[in-house]
Amino acid sequence: MERIHDHDPAMPASWNRATKPHRFCPGCGHGIFLKALGEVIDELGIAERTVFGCDIGCSLLAWDFLNVDSVQTHHGRTVPVVVGAKRANPELIVIAYMGDGGGYAIGAQHLVNSAMRNEKITVLLANNTVYAMTGGQMAPTTLPGQTTGTTPYGRDPDATGQPTLGPEMVAAITSNSAYVARGSVSNYPRLKQYVRQALENQLAGRGFSFVEALSGCPTNWHTNAKQTWSYLDDEMTKYFTLGEFKTPGQAEGGEDK
Amino acid sequence: MTNVIEAEQRSFMTGNEVVAWAALAAGAEFMYGYPITPQNEIMHYWTRLAPKFKRGFLQTEDELSAGFATLGGVMAGRKSFCATAGPGNVLMQEPISMAEMMRIPAVWFIQQRGGPSTATVIYSQQETRLTCLGGNGEGNRLVYSTASHQEVFDYAIKAFNNAWNYRFPTFVLGDGYQAKMREAVTLYDPAQRGIELHGTSRMLGRSSKQLDGQQVRHYRNTFNIEEELYETLMQHIADWDHMAEEVVEWAWEGDEEPDLLLVAHGVVSRAVYAAYEHLKSAGYNVAYFRPITLRPFPVAALQRAAGRCRQLLVAESAYGQLLSLVRDSLYGKTCAPIEGLLRPGLGITEELVVEWAQRLLARVG
Amino acid sequence: MVERVEAFVGEYAAGKSEVAVNRALALRQQGKQVTLVDLDLVEPTFTLRPLKHQLEGQGLNVIAWETAQTFGLGEAGMQLHPQARSAMLRTGHLVCDVGYGVFGSEVLNLVEGALACPHLGVYLVVNTTRPMTSSVDLILEEAKLFNPLHGLLNNTHLGAETTVELVQRGAQIVQVAANELNLPVIATPALAEIAQQMDGYDVCGNPVWPLRRYLQTAFW
Repeated sequence: MERIHDHDPAMPASWNRATKPHRFCPGCGHGIFLKALGEVIDELGIAERTVFGCDIGCSLLAWDFLNVDSVQTHHGRTVPVVVGAKRANPELIVIAYMGDGGGYAIGAQHLVNSAMRNEKITVLLANNTVYAMTGGQMAPTTLPGQTTGTTPYGRDPDATGQPTLGPEMVAAITSNSAYVARGSVSNYPRLKQYVRQALENQLAGRGFSFVEALSGCPTNWHTNAKQTWSYLDDEMTKYFTLGEFKTPGQAEGGEDK
Repeated sequence: MTNVIEAEQRSFMTGNEVVAWAALAAGAEFMYGYPITPQNEIMHYWTRLAPKFKRGFLQTEDELSAGFATLGGVMAGRKSFCATAGPGNVLMQEPISMAEMMRIPAVWFIQQRGGPSTATVIYSQQETRLTCLGGNGEGNRLVYSTASHQEVFDYAIKAFNNAWNYRFPTFVLGDGYQAKMREAVTLYDPAQRGIELHGTSRMLGRSSKQLDGQQVRHYRNTFNIEEELYETLMQHIADWDHMAEEVVEWAWEGDEEPDLLLVAHGVVSRAVYAAYEHLKSAGYNVAYFRPITLRPFPVAALQRAAGRCRQLLVAESAYGQLLSLVRDSLYGKTCAPIEGLLRPGLGITEELVVEWAQRLLARVG
Repeated sequence: MVERVEAFVGEYAAGKSEVAVNRALALRQQGKQVTLVDLDLVEPTFTLRPLKHQLEGQGLNVIAWETAQTFGLGEAGMQLHPQARSAMLRTGHLVCDVGYGVFGSEVLNLVEGALACPHLGVYLVVNTTRPMTSSVDLILEEAKLFNPLHGLLNNTHLGAETTVELVQRGAQIVQVAANELNLPVIATPALAEIAQQMDGYDVCGNPVWPLRRYLQTAFW
């Protein structure tokens, strides 16, 4: 990690210093997820080859976050954009960065199809159970009973189903050369390891890679610091299991952290 | 159904809220939607109020599904509506095209934002062309462009009634400014003002009471032979022309031989009307024209208004979308120069219109 | 450590921001140290942000993003300012402009420690011309969302159409609701032109707060 002056905070070299401090809310998980990504890009030495795509919603705040060529796409369309780039130039390392709305709602068809085609891309998805940027509406991963802008009386699973289990779905449909995992910003070393394995999978040209990160959103959860971590570690993990769901060459299966 | 509004009340609220209340008052039973700024409050209010009035809601996975689910609801015989903005409106063109072809009376509320693409979330009039003529057809739609909360309420009721009467996709075209601005509005029960709500009918599915003697219905929107498409479409167009005569609306004020005719729609018409009054009281010879239905566009009325004018000024928060409609209407009817005050995505103030108008009026001398 | 926290909560477009700004300035006039915090996390357009500089010029500390820092970021640009979290570490008074939503007083969790402040006032701003708070029963239903809640404010108005009579009718409705809740009506905020005609108190004997319009109707 690069440290230029004593009073400059240390940050990955692949981070764009000019746009720091960033604009994510205090307590937001995106900063942590992107730090893991930044460190991995540095360690693998792939910054020059990397293309970073982000979605709409809070992920769009990452459009100038990294020191790599980046494109903010339309909502749910980051995956097809990076697929196009990767097929045009397979030398590139392409990353599609999005939230649970972009990945599991409007972008679901693209996620499913690129996973089925085993596109050699890496999808990184921050799951905070809400559509944060637009003011906290229900998301595919909203928990049963959770109050949101469009579930003012709490999410009723009879009416709108259970929270979407993205990595489980992706693992079920991808080839055995794919890498699929779910981490949490609350366990940084493990999350970083998953991100690294995901990018290594693409580097090795093996196939699709997907990492979901349970991510905090105190702004839309209306939680203080203690409650935020508790929601991540105690509530969300009741529905979203942490672990690796597919590692190349092995049969499907998830291991708890 | 419980009365949504017991007695007329004068309320202070934002435009998005008015949409939710108006849809309730108009008898809408279902809303399908997807989050996109600046129309989210329509959903926030509908979801809070819907259970009290036994209405339904679903936030779908995207705008495509929200639009198509709205079609399904309408075809099954329930008044259903959708709301969106910007890139969401672009996606809606697919279900809207199906509604045009298959004569499905769905209603949309559009809160325009800056474009193209994600652009800004605030305001524009850049979805005029899209809302009137988007999709791969001939624009067989009914589009109202509102300029006040009262109009949003009044025209929402009209929109549902006219949709179910004439069976064309119908739109209330607002914008982010109207969506968020706060002003007073009178909420009322249409019945108390003698407005009858149009009944519904089912295109799909039958209640058990209807089983005897009812023909099974098959719907399609594909055609094998061009001639068949032509005939079907020409019939739709004839129906649309008939509707156009009955629904077209506009506002026109001022001199019949003005030195300058000011034209604007939607919320910009408020600033333009204020400018018109200002110029009139300053002694200028001016007139004001505002299309209220953008589709059908009040062609004949504009031709009359512009018949003997020296020049026109069209003001819009877009780059020529209203201007094109104006030019199209007046082709061959006037040699008067038609100038555009074009501000894509930016607000237009009374002062700016007055400044431009005075410059143009000076030319005429 | 902040000594007093006042949070203005309530329905969408009830007038919370206008009341919060005016209250903050009034406290400043009394010589207090005041920090105004923007907790409006949903509404991208009708917020304190365009006012930050102007209010700072009038002696307030304002924790909010500046318009230029948030516009142009595509969707809503509604992020919380990092300094909001640690706002309790300041001194004097903290006035919170709390945006709307169905989360009630929990929004104050975002200001670490605010809910534990011994001098906390969470005040429900009510405009009885709004359908969801137009009767005593409806106001009581709205008030249920907020726990804790320490008082009500009668902000009944119809914009440019406001009359003294309307404000007084609102005062009476809000007073009945407040009595049911065993809470005080803190004040009746009213635009200066209206306030002038009311002689300092509304018909229920509660103080009138004269308001100056700060939040623009044209917000670009």
